[in-house]
Order: sequence, then C-alpha cells, then structure tokens
Amino acid sequence: MLRFPKLLTLSLGLLASATFATASLAADTPVKGGKFTYLEQQAHTNLYPPAGGFYPNGGILNQITDKLTYQNPKTLEIEPWLALSWQVNDNATEYTFKLRPGVTFSDGTPLDAAAVAKNFDTFGLGNKALKLPVSEVVNNYDRSEVVDPLTVKFYFKKPSPGFLQGTSVIGSGIVSLSTLALPFEQLGDATKIIGSGPFVVKAETIGKSLSLQARSDYNWGPAKLDHQGRAYLDEISYIITSEDSVRIGALLAGQADFIRQIQAYDEAQVEAQGFTIFAPSTRGVNNSIVFRPDNPLVADLKVRKALSLAVNRDEIISTLFSKNYPKATSVIASTAIGYVPLVDKLQYDPEKAEALLDEAGFKPGADGIREKDGQKLVLTSYESLPQPQSRAVLQLIGQQWAKLGVKLNVLAGDAGSKVVDELDPLKTPVAVAMVGRADPDVVKSQFYPTNRNALVQKGGVSDKVKTFADDKLNSILEEIASQPDREKRLKAVADAQAYLLDQAYSVPIFEEPQAFAGAPYVKGVAFESVGRPSFYSVWLDK
Amino acid sequence: MKLYVFGRIGQALLVLWAAFTLSFVLLQALPGDAVLIKFLSPDFGLSADQINEIRAAYAVDSNIFVQYGRTLFNFLKGDFGYSLQAGVPVSAQLATNMPPTLRLAGLGFAVAVLLAVSIAFLSSMAPFAWLRNLFQSLPSLLISVPVFWLAIMLIQIFSFRLRLVSVINPGPWESLVLPVATLAVPISAPLAQILIRNIDEIRTRPFIAVARAKGASEARLLWKHVARNAILPALTIAGVLFGELVAGAVVTETVFGLNGIGGLTEKAVGNQDLSVLQAIVVISAAAFVAINLAVDLAYPILDPRLRNRAGAER
Repeated sequence: MLRFPKLLTLSLGLLASATFATASLAADTPVKGGKFTYLEQQAHTNLYPPAGGFYPNGGILNQITDKLTYQNPKTLEIEPWLALSWQVNDNATEYTFKLRPGVTFSDGTPLDAAAVAKNFDTFGLGNKALKLPVSEVVNNYDRSEVVDPLTVKFYFKKPSPGFLQGTSVIGSGIVSLSTLALPFEQLGDATKIIGSGPFVVKAETIGKSLSLQARSDYNWGPAKLDHQGRAYLDEISYIITSEDSVRIGALLAGQADFIRQIQAYDEAQVEAQGFTIFAPSTRGVNNSIVFRPDNPLVADLKVRKALSLAVNRDEIISTLFSKNYPKATSVIASTAIGYVPLVDKLQYDPEKAEALLDEAGFKPGADGIREKDGQKLVLTSYESLPQPQSRAVLQLIGQQWAKLGVKLNVLAGDAGSKVVDELDPLKTPVAVAMVGRADPDVVKSQFYPTNRNALVQKGGVSDKVKTFADDKLNSILEEIASQPDREKRLKAVADAQAYLLDQAYSVPIFEEPQAFAGAPYVKGVAFESVGRPSFYSVWLDK
Repeated sequence: MKLYVFGRIGQALLVLWAAFTLSFVLLQALPGDAVLIKFLSPDFGLSADQINEIRAAYAVDSNIFVQYGRTLFNFLKGDFGYSLQAGVPVSAQLATNMPPTLRLAGLGFAVAVLLAVSIAFLSSMAPFAWLRNLFQSLPSLLISVPVFWLAIMLIQIFSFRLRLVSVINPGPWESLVLPVATLAVPISAPLAQILIRNIDEIRTRPFIAVARAKGASEARLLWKHVARNAILPALTIAGVLFGELVAGAVVTETVFGLNGIGGLTEKAVGNQDLSVLQAIVVISAAAFVAINLAVDLAYPILDPRLRNRAGAER
C-alpha cells in the first residue's frame, strides 16, 4: 500500500522541483515581508553571548547581535562588519578596530567604542560579581582602551593570533551595556538580550516559543554582502518541537518553513517531496572517538593503534549516515583551516589490528575477550547527546571491535553521572569528541588540558588523572594558539593533526554537519562559518 | 469536624516538609551538580580555575546543612531562586508553565471521567450482550495503549494527513484537542475498570433486589442506587490518578511541544537544576495533598454513613 504512493510523490516531487527550478530563474528578486516559522529541537538556555556555542542559542543570537567582523563562510576570510577596518601589531598582542558610525542597539543606545570595550572586557576577563564566565575564544586578554568614540584598542598579555577570527564568532556578539549589567542568572530571558542585529526579540514564552521582529532601521550588515539594509522577513517565529517526527511532519504538511536537526534516515522522505536539506559543515575537529591514556588499558600505543585500525568508517557511514556526512580524512574537517589530508594514517586493517593486540600482550580469553595479566580489554564510553546518532555509532564501533575480542560498553546515563565519569579516565577510557570553529585554535580548544581536555591530561579540571600528560602535544597546541606568523601557525596545525593520529589518541569518524531542512519556497538561507543559520537574507518565494 | 480538618492540614504540612527534605537529600546524593553540568559543558570550554571560581560564586561546595537551611528559608519566604540551566527565575518558569499544565490536566481529567462513566454505564446498559462485552473489555485495551504512540498517531492522522488541527502555532483551544484526548485515554481506563466492577458487584446486593421488587425501573436503579455506591471507590482512585496525570503530561507535552510542568520537570531532572526541581516537588506534593484532602472531605457528602462516623470519632 505504501510503495506506490511513495513512487508517485517522488515523481511528483521531481516534477515539482523541475518546474520550480525554471520558475526561480524568472523570479530571483527577493520579496520583502512575511512571517517565517522555524522549528527548533531544543529550548535555548542562557543567552550570554559566549554561551552561543549551544546550537539553539547560536540560532537566536546570530539574528539579534552583530559582530565586529564577518567571516566569509566560503573563503573563511575575515571581512568588515561593525568594524570598518582593523590593525594588528606584529606579534598579535595589540588589536585596533575602527567602528562603523551610526550603529545603535535596539534600545536606542549607541554601539560605540565604549560599548565594544565593555563587551570584550567582560568576554575576556569575565565578571565575578555578576557570575559571567570568560569566553573560550578570547585568550590571554589584558585590557581595552577607548581611543576615540569610534576607535577601540585591545591589549593581550601573550600573542593571540586567533582573536581576529574570535571577533567574528557568535560568542562575540556585541550586546548593550544594559545587558552586560545583568547577572548571569537573568540572561536566559531572551527579551533582555539587547543587540544591534537585524532582528529584535519581541516576545517569548520561555521553553516554548520566541518571536523576533525585523528592525526597520537596520543598515549595517556585513559590508561585502550583496544584501544591504533591513532583513527581508518581517517576523520569525521560533517554536520548540522536540519530537523529530512532529518537526518533520509539520514541515512537510506546511505548518512550518524551516527546521533544525534532521537525522540522516529521515533525509530521503524530506527530499522526496521536493524539500531541501541543508547540511553546512562545522569546520572544526571531526566527530571522533578519543582515548584517555591515563587508563592502563589504552596506555599502550599498540593497543590504541589496533583499535583505530579496527574502526571501519565506510561501514559506519553507509549504515547510519548519508552523503551529507563525509568520511573523516584527518583530525579536522576538510573544510577547516589548516586541514592536511592524512588518509594513510586512517586505514581500516583488522588483521594488522589483531597482530598489534597480540604484540601488546592482549590474548583472547576463554570468553573470547582479550586479556593481559587478568585484565580484560573491556572499554566504556558515554554517548554524546548533541552528536548525531552517537549511541548507534558507538554501538557499531563496539561490534567492529568485538570481532577483535575487545568489548565496548556504551552508556547513556544522566547528565550528572556523565560529567563526573568523563573526568575519570578509569571509568571512561573512550569518549566522543567534536568541536566546531573555523579557526586553527579549535584544535587547541579540543585537546589542551585547560580547555576541553579531550584526552583528560593532568592539569585540567579532573583530579582523577594520575600521570598522563603529553608535553610534546601541548607545546604544539600552544604554538597554534600563540604563533603570530600565519605560515608557522598552519605548520603547527599540520603537526598536531599528524601527531594526534601517530599517537592514535584520536580516531576521527566523519565530518559532522549541522542538518536543517526547509520548504522549497524558502530562499536566501545562509549559514555562518560553523553552520548556524542566518535569516537576515531569507525571503519567501510564494 | 473542624478538628479533623485542622489535623489534616497539619498532616499536609508535614508531608510537604518531608517531600522537600527527601528531595533535597536525594538530589544531593546524585553524582555531579547543576553548576558542574552547566559550566563543564563544552559550550563554554572553561578552565579548571574558572570553573572553581564559578563554583565558589554559587557556593555549591559549602556545608550541606547550611545549603539546606538557606534553601528552606528561601522557600518559606516564597523565593524559589533561579534556574541555572535556563537562566531565568524559577517563579517565572512556574508562572509560564503552571497554567497550561493545569488546563491540560483539568480538561484531560474531565474528559477521562466522562469517558469512564460512559464506558461503565454502556457496559451494563447496552442492548446486546456482545456489545456489553465489548465495552467491558475496552478499559484493558485503553490502558495498554502507549501514550507516546497514541500522541504521534493522533498528530500524524489528524494534523498531518487530514489537516484538521494545527500542531505548530495552534489557537488556544485548538492546541488542546489532541493533547487532551491523548491524556484522557490512559486516565479513563482504570476509572472505567473500577466503575464496571463496582456496578457489577452492587447489582447483586440484596438492597437492589428489594428496590427492584418495589417496582423501580432499571434506569432508576442504576442512577439512584447503584451509581451512588459505585462512585466512592472510583473517587479514591481518582485522587491517586493525579500522579498518573502528571506523568502523562510529561510525554504529552514533549510530543506536542507544549510548555508545561511536565517538560520543565524532564529538563530539570536531566540537568539536576536543583532549585527548579525542589519547587516542582513541593508544588506537586501540595497538589497531591490538596486533592486527597478534597477527596476525603467529599466522602461524607456522598455517603451519609461516613458523615456520622467522622462526627463520632473526631
């Protein structure tokens, strides 16, 4: 009963998209006006801009705040936005920005040097009294200086070559002084986030819906965009719809225009009806599994190499994903800055893997699981909820490892247990890792002990680590974060990728996209460099 | 009677305090805490020192008795604190989420009662034996339908296929149709079951035979004699079903994308958002206590025998 109608809708869909393609050629002048319904999977949390890494937060902040600079998502070059021009000294410790005149926040106050200085003082140093944490992208910050009302200068204690790109990310969205005067606990109320962006928060029902309205006087979008002036849409309605089938069904039934988060297995039914899948790359550290060598089971390089060789990426991608999930060819995505293809270090070779485990002294026991000195090779990992089908990926890796005589336990667990256990290498010898950011700093963010510390080295938040620290890795990572010379910095990124794979610390699986779907009449959707949507140039062709 | 009511209110307060304390202890016993979950999340990428500063600012590592005393004191003042995860005052969250849940639960319950009474009476009044059998077995069917599945089926059929109601951006009443139906089904089943049992049992009692001998019609028998007796145990169950209602609301709210206490609880549990959870526990306990008190006070009104006993004993 299902087979035939499906074929029918498929061919109708093809027909529709074919006629549609010709129609869109005739009418590609953007139409102004209209209300846009966007279905989000999760409610936003705290909207303090440095918390914009959480996708639901980024999807809102990107519409209501502007950044000093604009990172062109195609070229990844930094272009003018609120800053018309900038100067960086030779060792990247002093940055001077010339601001665009006439920019105002939605409460009418001016966006001038004083406001920008206050923003980065807060993002760079935090504010203890208001409990505002520092931003991940602002490293080694010292102080700001207001040179004149439209010129602001920032000083850094150590070279910070990543800062320029750091001013372009969602986490560096400029907000008004009144927003920065609020304590952290109150910034979950979207109506209190006053930015200068093309949209303004009109109303919100916390945890349920949010309504944005276009600012009619907006005239300071990124300088090199074709679209200038106010946004085309009049209004955007965000509605939290956590159930996958409801989000997709509502889109297909015409109750919504655009949705976030669609799993690979749902892509076919959406595309079959002429709807569009958007899967922008996150341009950072690939979706990977990492080892915590402080755990004696994975302390031996031979064991880690064997486990890496036993992961069959092709099987994972063909079983669980689609063409929108490219196979990993290095630690970072092929669209990331400083990417070096290292396919020969990412081979699938189960026979060699067995030989390496034999060499390492792990011999198959009576139950088929390898063991050494009575220690069974049984590993544990938590699934990572934000990552697509994380549990299924881990279970499939578990099956691939099982053929080798290695057992992988996959835990779901509550947020509290996960956070605590992830700090203990004995409890979680394997973990899922991934960060998106279009700057080489992303590699340091992922692996450096005082940042996300994916390998759980000594010197991080965890007090459970006994000895493990890799000084060589850390010095490469420090070089990435502080080398002002671009060529040398990219060389460090290349070194880090090779080293992480040579040590088999990381087993990259695929390049993780952010997946969205939109109705065929939705035009002009753009994504910033890490895959968060921008609705500034969206218009409705209907 | 007055003494009885005061005694019950005293008991209720005791229950509330116990619920507060127990939930505090249980939440403390869980691994990790809200601050850790929030700030260790990779979205912030903070260093150990920065996290320790924040922990100190929130005083999460201070003495547990001090924390307990402070939280209890604030609660007594009516200050529920802030949700760490959502970044808004708990009172604001309750204000936006309570009314929709009350509306949903209230209507769901009303429809469930209607459904249960109809099933029960039809199962003893319907014309044919096979039809009566059908109605008698309906509760077992209804209780075994998973709420989650029912919700998705209703949406797929009535919203996406037939396009009768909108799930996204519905009107205030339109938004309630499918969720109320979803919620009413599992609640009505046990109620109907108990009503059917009681009706069957009471019909065999001698006083029914007497009434029938005096010439009462079947309908009069059912309404006047059977129903009044059958409704008491159902009332007790109704009080207990309130818990079911809240549990059902979690699923219903998630699937239909409604805001409400159910969804709020689910998120707060996941993130160990202490202040939100404590407020929800206390409010739910208060609702439970109030409903059971109302049920107890309703007994004497429905049953004159209990009226005398309550008066004599207390």
